[in-house]
Amino acid sequence: MAQISIAGDDLVVEIEGWEKLWSLKSRLVIPLVNVRGATVDPGIAAEPKGLRAPGTSLPGVITAGTFHQEGERVFWNIRDGARAVVIELADERYARLVVEVADPAATVALIEREIKR
Amino acid sequence: MGRPRGFDEQAVTAAAAQLFAGRVYDGVSVDDLVQHLGVHRNSLYKVFGSKRGLYIAALRWHLEHRLPRLAEQLAAGVAATDDSVLDLLLLAGVERAPVDTDVAALVTTAWQTLGQALHRAARVNGTSPTALSTLLGERLLARAAGPTGDPS
Repeated sequence: MAQISIAGDDLVVEIEGWEKLWSLKSRLVIPLVNVRGATVDPGIAAEPKGLRAPGTSLPGVITAGTFHQEGERVFWNIRDGARAVVIELADERYARLVVEVADPAATVALIEREIKR
Repeated sequence: MGRPRGFDEQAVTAAAAQLFAGRVYDGVSVDDLVQHLGVHRNSLYKVFGSKRGLYIAALRWHLEHRLPRLAEQLAAGVAATDDSVLDLLLLAGVERAPVDTDVAALVTTAWQTLGQALHRAARVNGTSPTALSTLLGERLLARAAGPTGDPS
């Protein structure tokens, strides 16, 4: 599970508990100007994830770490994906983050409020 | 920033507007969008940023491409050929505008366009203008009357 907050002009994504071991990364700080949007998307769990490096993938149990797909680097940290949120980035190491959060709708509202459309 | 466009963005935006006109925002999942728009999930995120990004693009497209014709017909005092144009705006006004200032601004713009068209018709005909609320209320009542064989 990820804890997502906004600190000043940054989006802060913290991976909680044991899962941080699997993703090999426990905290991401991303300037809000590089955040293009956030979406509630449980269905993404069923999508192919690409090649993992580094990280962990136990199908049906946990998908965590950095995955490479179609020339993009995507950070995953989900279990069953029922509470998955997709955060699209620009000009960052990761093209997008796919993380599980306690309240997907509230997380998306928090992030989208900051996005100029 | 280079964003590869593997699809016709206008066509996808138009199709999204149609989808959001028939179903509430929260009732349209990303799975639904991927399936109905025929676009890969990753491309959808790459181009629009988020589901809300796509929704706002769809609403803008609607104001730009579908609203003007209805406004012209109203201003000319002729019968509207397609008042389903109001559906996306009605849903947006009820569901999204109260919680999304960008949507509220777009819906307000649409109401102003329609209100001005109704006033123009009244000036031409020398009658008192039809209220915007009447126009919207009539469409709402028509929708509430139930399916009429219209597949949408």
